Amino acid sequence: MIQKTVTVNSEHGLHARPAALIVKAATKFRSEFYIERDGVKVNGKSIMGVMMLAAENGAVLTLIAQGVDAEYLIEEVSSLIEGGFRL
Amino acid sequence: MRELTVKQLFEDKRKDFALSLVTEPHTINKRIVTPYFNRPGLALAGWLEVFTPERIQIFGEAEVRYLQSLKEQPMLERLRELFKMDIPCVIISKGLSLPPSVEYLANDLNIPIFSSRLSTVQLISQINRYLMDVFALEKTIHATLVDVFGLGILITGKSGIGKSECALDLISRGHSLVGDDMINMRNLNDTIVGRSGREFGHFMEIRGVGVVNVEKMFGIERVRREKTIDLQIELMPWQENTEYERIGLKANYVDHLGVKLPMIYLPISPGKNVSVIVEVAAMNQILKGSGYDAAEDFNRKIHEEIRKQTLFKKVQATENDPKDGNSK
Repeated sequence: MIQKTVTVNSEHGLHARPAALIVKAATKFRSEFYIERDGVKVNGKSIMGVMMLAAENGAVLTLIAQGVDAEYLIEEVSSLIEGGFRL
Repeated sequence: MRELTVKQLFEDKRKDFALSLVTEPHTINKRIVTPYFNRPGLALAGWLEVFTPERIQIFGEAEVRYLQSLKEQPMLERLRELFKMDIPCVIISKGLSLPPSVEYLANDLNIPIFSSRLSTVQLISQINRYLMDVFALEKTIHATLVDVFGLGILITGKSGIGKSECALDLISRGHSLVGDDMINMRNLNDTIVGRSGREFGHFMEIRGVGVVNVEKMFGIERVRREKTIDLQIELMPWQENTEYERIGLKANYVDHLGVKLPMIYLPISPGKNVSVIVEVAAMNQILKGSGYDAAEDFNRKIHEEIRKQTLFKKVQATENDPKDGNSK
């Protein structure tokens, strides 16, 4: 299992579009993927789950992945979040 | 159909337009080439610059009274100029009539004149509807058309993907079938009206069973002759690496005969109840039409929540900052 802590870096937080981008990136991988915030853990491949986090700009999230390609998943998703969703 | 003869119009609509032929029968073999009509008031007064002779000419009370106000010779001169331009036909409304000399002139120049008992407004609206229908842009496509909660849904997708089976499921859930396999679409005043491409009833091929007659099997209330198409749903096999719409903030459209229709790409896989999803898509489309967009509403609520969190953080930061606390 791989964990990484990231800080949200986008002005309006994780609203629908950024959430969709995270899910889109994560579903490319086979590993299981969760995002945790203040004790709330959601499935990172579920768009409703990710949006329900209501993560604002500067919120600290823990990315948790488990599986064969967990490393790559974490790398891609964290660079997406920290890079402010500029692809 | 993109061509109409005056004869055919007379045969089709004699009753509906309350028509009678004033001139001799040999006059009615003219062609009508546009779906528009004209009121030739100004042309009769002598101004022929922007006159549109290819259109059906409707003489209302204004035209008839104006012609009656003229002396016989000038009146015939004006009409001769009009008739020489090879107009398809003249229809006089309100059961009004012109002097017999006009009739002779029209017979000579081979221009059909009809008299209609309808009022000018009624006649114009009827003719308009008829011509729009005859001259409508049309095409026939491979699809299934159903009426779900009053919404016309065109189901498309590759052969064998389950369009007919989906329609059958919808029919047994109380919705109705317009046509299966071949759908004829027409653009009527920028709405797309669909009907079955075959005129002989509501038959459907169900793989493994064969041909069934939906009307006989489910009753007359489960079939419709035609329906305005409001939404297209394309069924496609589920593919691992394809991105499907998740939230619905981005709308897809498809163009049919110059009209933009909302389009949903629906991935199907075993165990998915497609007809229930089609029902949900229909209801969501109805809500959108009435001004409520669930995707937007949801996104707005998330935005609000995020803003609250941000504010909360700021307040916390200020409280924990001793400098700021001293200054107050």
